[in-house]
Amino acid sequence: MGIGPSTKETTMHHFHDPLVRVVSSDPDVDFQGVILVGTPQDNYLKNLVGRRTAFWLEAMRTNGAIISADGWGNSDVDFMNTMTEIGNKGISIVGLKFIGKQAGFVVENEHTKFVLDINKSKSGTETEVVGENNLNEKDAHKALGLLKLKMRKDGQVTK
Amino acid sequence: MNKNTLTINAFSMQDVTIGPKYHLTNNSLEIPDHPLFSIDDRLKSVTVKLVDPKNCHFKINTIMDVIPISTKVLGNIGYGMSNTLTGVSVILTGADETGVQLHEFGSSNGYLDEKIKFDTDGTPSSDDVVILIDVILKSDFEFNRETCEMVFNTADQFLQPIRESLKILNGREAAESFDYEDIKHPGKPKVAIVKEVAGQGAMYDNMVFAKEPGGIEKGISIIDMDNMPILLSANEYRDGAIHALV
Repeated sequence: MGIGPSTKETTMHHFHDPLVRVVSSDPDVDFQGVILVGTPQDNYLKNLVGRRTAFWLEAMRTNGAIISADGWGNSDVDFMNTMTEIGNKGISIVGLKFIGKQAGFVVENEHTKFVLDINKSKSGTETEVVGENNLNEKDAHKALGLLKLKMRKDGQVTK
Repeated sequence: MNKNTLTINAFSMQDVTIGPKYHLTNNSLEIPDHPLFSIDDRLKSVTVKLVDPKNCHFKINTIMDVIPISTKVLGNIGYGMSNTLTGVSVILTGADETGVQLHEFGSSNGYLDEKIKFDTDGTPSSDDVVILIDVILKSDFEFNRETCEMVFNTADQFLQPIRESLKILNGREAAESFDYEDIKHPGKPKVAIVKEVAGQGAMYDNMVFAKEPGGIEKGISIIDMDNMPILLSANEYRDGAIHALV
């Protein structure tokens, strides 16, 4: 498992990235930037890059973050580990990932219920159609909405 | 130059044609049907054709990437000015001469109209003219990062003469112009995006910080950075700081 045609993010996708477009233009949040992190093969490195990501967000005094992934399978380990590391720093975290009917989490924890499914296919599978199961603007709005609620619940918003 | 602002001038291509050479105006583009440079020894052929997304029921090799055509005019990626073409986009496909497809996990070879969903953020608009670059490797190739990067690089080199002409078009004659500012909202909750991207090997990689938007030259593979997190601004992102190698 890895990155299938229907979830892979093309160069064009990054160029038009709907998550960046939606979050960076919302006047109700102070947008800090995008942390781009890879998905190593090695387990030691998988844990390390997740920890480093959480350290950065903590140093940036981030209140909330949205994590997204361009694949599924062994990268789910990185995804959940990074979510947990960020959550452990007291930062509100929600996720966006292809789940459908074939990419559910093997192990669930307190963060998995804050991961939204970006599947668009009727079958809920990797359809091998380029662009079909990519994150879109609607997913981005849903995630930002959920993050705002979570930040309020977590006491990140004082007013 | 205000390092907080990115201006993107969009030139809308009304007429895209195949011809003997590259020629770009404010609203038209002519490109050759093959690279005008000598291609890598590992390659059997590189062919270029124009495709109408509304009429594309024909067989293609696996889709390696969809690429926008954009170039820096002033400043670096993320600030200053970029010129971008609209109405035209690039699909890169690849296989070897025996039909082995270039992909990591699942291939999108088949009928083009059945293997891509047009009009998404990551795919061409159905009103675009698509430049389809098909790269065929000789059969004894090694499937590794180096070979795949060479294929992506071949497509990038084919596009570079378009970017060189695009750089000298006058921004005042662009069809549209957009200013993107990094606006702070003090007192509001601080929010960041974490994007987890592929970084494990051939066709499972991403490149950042190339010289040109969505380009390859001088780009750094996220694998070569041991997948360590890096921080990008929204403007760097929308100015093509990332080239997917998936």
